[in-house]
Amino acid sequence: MINDIRVGALIAYCSVKRGNKKTLMFIVFVLSLIFMNLVFLPSMIGGMTVLFTGMMQDYPYGDVVIEPTGDNTYINNADNVLQKVRAVEGVRAATKRLDVGASIEHKQKVVGVTVTGLLPTEEYEISRYPYIITEGDFLGELSRDEIIIGAAIAGTSPVFGEIYDNLGEVRAGSLVDVTYSNGVKRTYKVKGIMEGTFELVDLNALVHYKEIEEVYGLEESKATSVVVRVDKQGTEEQIQDKIREAGVNEQVFTWADKSESLIRQAMQSLGAIDVMSKFVSLIVGAALVLIIIYINVLNRKKEIGILKAVGITPGSIVLSYAFLSMFYVSLGIFAGLVLYFALMLYFQANPVVFYETMEIRPQIDPVLLIQSIVTMLTLSVIAGTLPAWSVSKESILKAIWSR
Amino acid sequence: MIIVKNLKRYYGTGETAVKALRGVSFEINKGEFVAIMGASGSGKTTLLRILALLDDATDGEYTIRGLKVSSLPEAERSYYRLTQVGYVFQDYALINEMSAAENVYILSMMEGKSRKESYETALEALDKVGLKEKHNRIPDELSGGEKQRVAIARAIAKKPDILFADEPCANLDTRNSKQVLDVFKELNEKYGQTIIMVTHEPWHTEYVDRVITLEDGSLVSDVQKRR
Repeated sequence: MINDIRVGALIAYCSVKRGNKKTLMFIVFVLSLIFMNLVFLPSMIGGMTVLFTGMMQDYPYGDVVIEPTGDNTYINNADNVLQKVRAVEGVRAATKRLDVGASIEHKQKVVGVTVTGLLPTEEYEISRYPYIITEGDFLGELSRDEIIIGAAIAGTSPVFGEIYDNLGEVRAGSLVDVTYSNGVKRTYKVKGIMEGTFELVDLNALVHYKEIEEVYGLEESKATSVVVRVDKQGTEEQIQDKIREAGVNEQVFTWADKSESLIRQAMQSLGAIDVMSKFVSLIVGAALVLIIIYINVLNRKKEIGILKAVGITPGSIVLSYAFLSMFYVSLGIFAGLVLYFALMLYFQANPVVFYETMEIRPQIDPVLLIQSIVTMLTLSVIAGTLPAWSVSKESILKAIWSR
Repeated sequence: MIIVKNLKRYYGTGETAVKALRGVSFEINKGEFVAIMGASGSGKTTLLRILALLDDATDGEYTIRGLKVSSLPEAERSYYRLTQVGYVFQDYALINEMSAAENVYILSMMEGKSRKESYETALEALDKVGLKEKHNRIPDELSGGEKQRVAIARAIAKKPDILFADEPCANLDTRNSKQVLDVFKELNEKYGQTIIMVTHEPWHTEYVDRVITLEDGSLVSDVQKRR
C-alpha cells in the first residue's frame, strides 16, 4: 500500500509539474466556479436573513420583548418592570410601548393602522424609528396632537405605494383624523413621515405614549410591551433568563422567539430554496468534476495501459488520479475562495438593493465554507477514483491499443 | 528457461474466429537473443504479448523457469511483469510527463526501493544505454532513438529474467536502429540478458543468436545462427 501511495504520488506530481498549464488553469477555473456556486447563493440568503431579523430587532421587538401574560391586554405597572429590567446586567436600554388599533382619515380616505404610543427620547436608544424620518421631524418629549405616519400609509412610499391603500400624498404638516378602537377620535398634525422599507414600520403610526394613555384612560403606567436592548448581541437568551430571575412575571421573549412566527415561514421558503440550490449545485458540481476527471482519464487511457504493462499496480494508478483530482479541486477551492471573498468585499461595498431601498449584504458563514470545502474534496476523491478505477480494470491491450 | 507448448490464440469464436496463433511450440534458453520474424499478421506480436503476460493464450502451456505463468492470477502476473519481465514497445510507450530518469525509476519505487536507491538504479540503467547525461530530459526533448533507449533502460533497470522487444526499431532510421540493436547486443553479450525481439527487418538478424519465423500463426522455421 505504501508503495502504491508513493508511486501514485509520483505519477500525480509529474502530471502536474509537466502537464499542460493551460488545461490546468481551465480546470481550476471551472472548479472555482463550481465552488462559488456552492457558497454564493447561501451567503446571499444569509444576508437576507440578517436583514429581516435585523429589522425585527430594530423596530417592533428589540433584542428582548416583555408582553402581558395570559389574556391580559396590558402589562400592569410597566415602570416597575422597567426598573427591574434596567437593573439587569447586560441590558443597554429599555422602554415601554402601547400598541392600539385605529383608523386614519385624510380627505375622505381611510386606512386601518396600528398606532404605537412611545416615549420619543427613549426610542433613540431602542429603535431606528427616530432615524428613518424622510420628511419632517421625529416626535419630541412635548409632542402632543402630533403623529408620525409610515410612508406606505402616507402614500409617499416608492416601495409599497401601489400595494397598500394609502391616504394619498399626506405630507408633514397635514392634518389627519385618527379614530381609535375605543371610538375616541383625535385630530393630529403629521409631524413626520417615516420610511423603513419594511411593512411593519411603513404601515404603522407613532404618537407619544401619553396620547394613548389619555385616549384609553390608562393609569399606573400600563404598556402592551416593554422593549429591551442588550449590550452584546448573542446574549439575548441569557438576558431573558436574568429578567425572569429579576422577578418579572410577564412573558419574556427574545427577538428570535417573536420573529419566528412572522419570519419563520419566509426563512423556511428561503431555506428550501437554499437546500435545493445546494443540492443542484452539488449534483452539477459532482457531474462537472466527474466529467473533467473522466476526460482527463480517457486522454491518458494509453498511459494507464502502459503503466499496467510495465508492472505498476492498478491501486497506484487509481491513487494517482485521486491525488490529481484532489490537487485540482484544492486549487479550485483556493481560487473559488479568492473569487468568493472578492465578491463578498464588492457586495459589502455595493449591496444588492431589494425593494429599491433594502440593501442585502451577503453573509460569510464559516460553517458553510467548511462544509463546501469538505464536500468538494470528497467529490474530488470519488470523481478521481471512479473513472481511473474503471479504466485500470480494462485489459492492457484494450487500454493501450483499444483492442 | 522458457517452454512454450502448443500455444494458441483465437480472437472470436466459431467459424469467424481469427486464429492468430495455431499451436506454437518452442524452448528458449537463458542468455539467448532470439528474433521472432514473419510477415504482417503472422502472429509474432501476439506471441510476444502472450509471452510478456500482456495477453492470454486461448490454449496451450507457457512456463518460465518451471513456473506455469500462463495460469497465474492477474495480481501475480502484474508482479511478474514488474519484477521478472522487461518490455520494450514499438512506439517507446514512455510517460510524456516524466523525465527519462523518472520513467525508469518509477518501477524501482513500485518494487519498494527508496527514492534515492531507485534514482541510482535508474542512472545505472540509463548509463548502460548511453543516456546518463540526459536523465533529466522529458521524452519530447529526446530523439526517437534516445526515446527507445530510455524505454530499454526502463525495461532493464529491474534486471529482468527476460527482455521482450516488439519491433523496437520500427519507428527509427537506420542509424538509430543500429544504436538500439547495439545496446541489445551489449546487454546480451556483456550481462547475459535473455532477449526476445519481434522484427520484420532481415538485417536485424545479424545481431541475434536465433531466428524463429512464423507464418499464419504457425512456426515455420527455427534457425540457430550462433553459439
